[in-house]
Amino acid sequence: MAAVRTSSEIGFNRVAIVAVLLVTIIFLAPIYWIASTAFKPRNLATTIPPTVVFQPEISPFVKLFTKRSQLRSAPTPEEYAAAPWWERVVFDGGEKIVRDGKGQVQWSGYPSRFMNSLIIAITSTVLAVGMGTFTAYGFSRFKVKGEADLLFFILSTRMLPPVVVAIPMFLMYRAVGLNDTHVGLIILYTAFNLSFSVWLMKGFMDEIPKEYEEAALVDGYTRMEAFFKIVLPEAATGIAATAVFCFITAWNEYAFALIMTNRRAQTAPPFIPSQVGSGLPDWTVIASGTFLFLLPVAIFTFLLRNHLLRGMSFGAIRK
Amino acid sequence: MRKLVTSALAGIGLTLACGTSVYAQDKELTIFWAEWDPANYLQELVNLYEAETGVKVTVETTPWSDFQTKAFTEFNAKGSAYDMVVGDSQWIGAASEAGHYVDLTDFFNKHNLKEVMAPATVKYYAEYPSASGKYWSIPAEGDAVGWSYRKDWFEDPKEMEAFKAKYGYDLGVPKDFKALRDIAEFFHRPDQKRYGVAIYTDNSYDALVMGVENAIFSYGGELGDYATYKVDGIINSDQNVKALEVYKELYSFTPPGWAKSFFIEDNQAITENLAAMSMNYFAFFPALINEASNPNAKNTGFFANPAGPNGDQFAALGGQGISVISYSNNKEEAMKFLEWFIKDETQKKWAELGGYTASAKVLESPEFQNATPYNKAFYETMFKVKDFWATPEYAELLIAMNQRVYPYITGNQGTAKEVLDSLAADWNATFKKYNRVK
Amino acid sequence: MATAVMTTLDPNSRSATRGMSDLTIRNLFIIPTIVFLIVFNIFPLLYSLGYSFTDFRASSPAAANFVGLQNYRELLNDPFIWSNFAITAKYVIVSVVGQVIVGFGVALLLNRDIPLKGLLTTLLLLPMMLSMAVVGLFWKLLYDPSWGVINYALGLGNFEWLSNPDMALYAVAITDIWMWSPFVMLLSLAGLSAVPKHLYEAAAIDRAGSFYTFFRITLPLVAPILMIAIIFRTMEAFKTFDLAYILTSQPTTEVISIRLYKMAFQEWQTGRSCALAYIVLIMVLAITNIYVKYLNKVKER
Repeated sequence: MAAVRTSSEIGFNRVAIVAVLLVTIIFLAPIYWIASTAFKPRNLATTIPPTVVFQPEISPFVKLFTKRSQLRSAPTPEEYAAAPWWERVVFDGGEKIVRDGKGQVQWSGYPSRFMNSLIIAITSTVLAVGMGTFTAYGFSRFKVKGEADLLFFILSTRMLPPVVVAIPMFLMYRAVGLNDTHVGLIILYTAFNLSFSVWLMKGFMDEIPKEYEEAALVDGYTRMEAFFKIVLPEAATGIAATAVFCFITAWNEYAFALIMTNRRAQTAPPFIPSQVGSGLPDWTVIASGTFLFLLPVAIFTFLLRNHLLRGMSFGAIRK
Repeated sequence: MRKLVTSALAGIGLTLACGTSVYAQDKELTIFWAEWDPANYLQELVNLYEAETGVKVTVETTPWSDFQTKAFTEFNAKGSAYDMVVGDSQWIGAASEAGHYVDLTDFFNKHNLKEVMAPATVKYYAEYPSASGKYWSIPAEGDAVGWSYRKDWFEDPKEMEAFKAKYGYDLGVPKDFKALRDIAEFFHRPDQKRYGVAIYTDNSYDALVMGVENAIFSYGGELGDYATYKVDGIINSDQNVKALEVYKELYSFTPPGWAKSFFIEDNQAITENLAAMSMNYFAFFPALINEASNPNAKNTGFFANPAGPNGDQFAALGGQGISVISYSNNKEEAMKFLEWFIKDETQKKWAELGGYTASAKVLESPEFQNATPYNKAFYETMFKVKDFWATPEYAELLIAMNQRVYPYITGNQGTAKEVLDSLAADWNATFKKYNRVK
Repeated sequence: MATAVMTTLDPNSRSATRGMSDLTIRNLFIIPTIVFLIVFNIFPLLYSLGYSFTDFRASSPAAANFVGLQNYRELLNDPFIWSNFAITAKYVIVSVVGQVIVGFGVALLLNRDIPLKGLLTTLLLLPMMLSMAVVGLFWKLLYDPSWGVINYALGLGNFEWLSNPDMALYAVAITDIWMWSPFVMLLSLAGLSAVPKHLYEAAAIDRAGSFYTFFRITLPLVAPILMIAIIFRTMEAFKTFDLAYILTSQPTTEVISIRLYKMAFQEWQTGRSCALAYIVLIMVLAITNIYVKYLNKVKER
């Protein structure tokens, strides 16, 4: 390629690099805006011209984790002086921290929602990827009558709008008491992701040469041993890529969580928008909640990025 | 493989157990309400109950936009997650007919709450069907729509002079909708990033309808006959057509991007120097007199919903009563809590904390009326409020009204008469479907 | 249906002497997934099929009455429902076309030796990792006419993105394009990197123009994978709920999922919403079938 490159092509390459950088900046700007708003004082969140340089504050995070209410009169100087720093930053915003009958600071709903998200997303990802891997192997290595139809059926379960599925699921869950439980959402997300996981994993499984296992079988391995000791390690990249996609879907799902959960099992996505504020909006708190919520997926993806890029190419091409 | 399945199931079971056991302590009550400051005030109030009795009471909240969905999801599932709900006034029909609420008639009569609470709150928050003498909730948070305005803009001598020259009368707190409209037009100066008025337009729940109701009720109109379900000729009456037209005109004096606005946006219109006047529920006014949250706190004034052309003056009712949920496992404990809640001292404390008590005695007291710049306007308003339908199918009526009215107000589609005629037909069809009318 | 298909053993497979037979393993691997999907995806649908012929309301203890095809008849005659479908169609087209143009375009730019290419690609993937609900909420702030950053950056003054009924749907689509172009980009990159280099070299030696190279070599070879991206994005766009629901409440952005949500969980017209869900379901299946047929055709070429 390099040999036949002309000077105009090299010029075009430069333009392309600049264009890529520009696109990247445009795509990242809203995310930067979320991250920077998470550390802004409340009154700088809605200024025009937008505030770009400011003294970062931790107060949005204090507010994110505590239950607060509007102050109706300013705290007395003694009260203010006696308060710890994290209570003062709330006072400064014209609010106070709500305490329970024993004077204990009340947590906001955020920490429990975050934990719910973690439990539900991780469990359902493990289940969906696990089952998907077995099933994909089954489809890839054995003849199954009507394979194409079955695979289409599996994919079709993912095409349904969540609200369509949610109506009967809601009625069924209600009948068996699964509404507003962790298990209920885990099952839903597993079912939702399983089809995707089977499809992706089948692509990876087809990619792994059959000869590897056959050699192992000749060496006296059982089929199961061959699967666990030979095939699974080969499929690691695919499993990682599939896991990232399933996790992102489960982590961010909104419609089912909105409809199926109330309080015990509610995840963060329907909860964060509810924090817009009472009386006046506080964008810094929403931004801090969003920022924290983005971290696990961003870290997960970043760690597995090589698998992800490679994995996507394999899985998708072979489908 | 079997083992794997078993252990996976065990894991699920464990998660389930963890998920539920945390909440299985006794002597704990949970009250469900929407996400807003009064819910925080209520939390502070019930903390006192815990201090007195040792019973922990938690106020759980969800955003307004899905409060109704969440509450009815839980009711329909006969769920026991909540013991009490501070439910919207329109829900009483649906919740009482379906058996979600515990009948509180005996409790009501025993404590003579009909006299203790302000009449409008008894009528709209507690009683269903209308005038049946059956009560389903205890009026808890009185509320109605009022207005805030920029005193500094209104009192600027230059503005006053210019206003008088243009309209021929003095600039001041609007006495009627005509003055409201004139003032909105007067202050509407997009080139200076200053706008006339902030009104409710969000159609995802009842915000827009509440806003329109303010105009309709003050124009002397009604939504329909709540006893006979007759709507034709009432919802599309001449007054209502005029009222809808004036609301649409007000929309043209709102700040840019005002097509999904509710209490947050309307308060922001004052704090961010966007509008001269802003419609909002009284419950959201505390944020406006707080200098930390409103830089214009000193210059913010309040007034009650103005009168219509015929001198009628009404306002749309907000507010909620507290009801005991039939599926709660702690009903007795909840009734004990209500006994405490209706005590005079509790109601007084409730008002001090920022809640809008419905207790007539507290409302009439000078301490209450002078406690904030808007309490007096609130007191006056609470005696001239009207509400939306409270029938079980009210959600369909609400959505139909949003569907018809919203495109007219914000999208300039059709005429007020056409819109209300179609709405009358929609509502009539709904009532026919549920055999309310023949 | 699933079990009937799988009773015969593939005669060519070697059955090991130890451990489980291949047949057992195959069934063990495949049947649980199929059963799971039937129980949690197909059974609920059958359940709701029954309700779609009744006037059932989940908010009321009253028993459901059989009303025959009345729900379907009324829904198909409701002009509001048809406008919801039209809005959904418009949204799907605008947003998917936008994503393909932007995503494929960026992939073409990225498909060369660029310093830090891996890092840039990963960074570009960030938008699709966010929750749509939260993205919707935040873009509302970005779109705000009075203090939004977008109008400020583009010098648009008080341009009303979300309050203007004609603009709102495009605003929602733009947000969706921002979020999901990276997905199309990722798949396109995979497709582009699989195009054999010698084809380009041959074209260069033949002095073929870049248009010719693009339309005769690049596009046909990337088409199948692009098709997959389009299928996925179409299905997702058709399902869209969170973004539009949170960003705006304009009737012009009321996609079918929002209408369905309102009917089912706000009005509690359970029977009727089941019927509407069925109408949606049939449409989705039809669209996917057309796509998959087309995909197979593209692959065969």
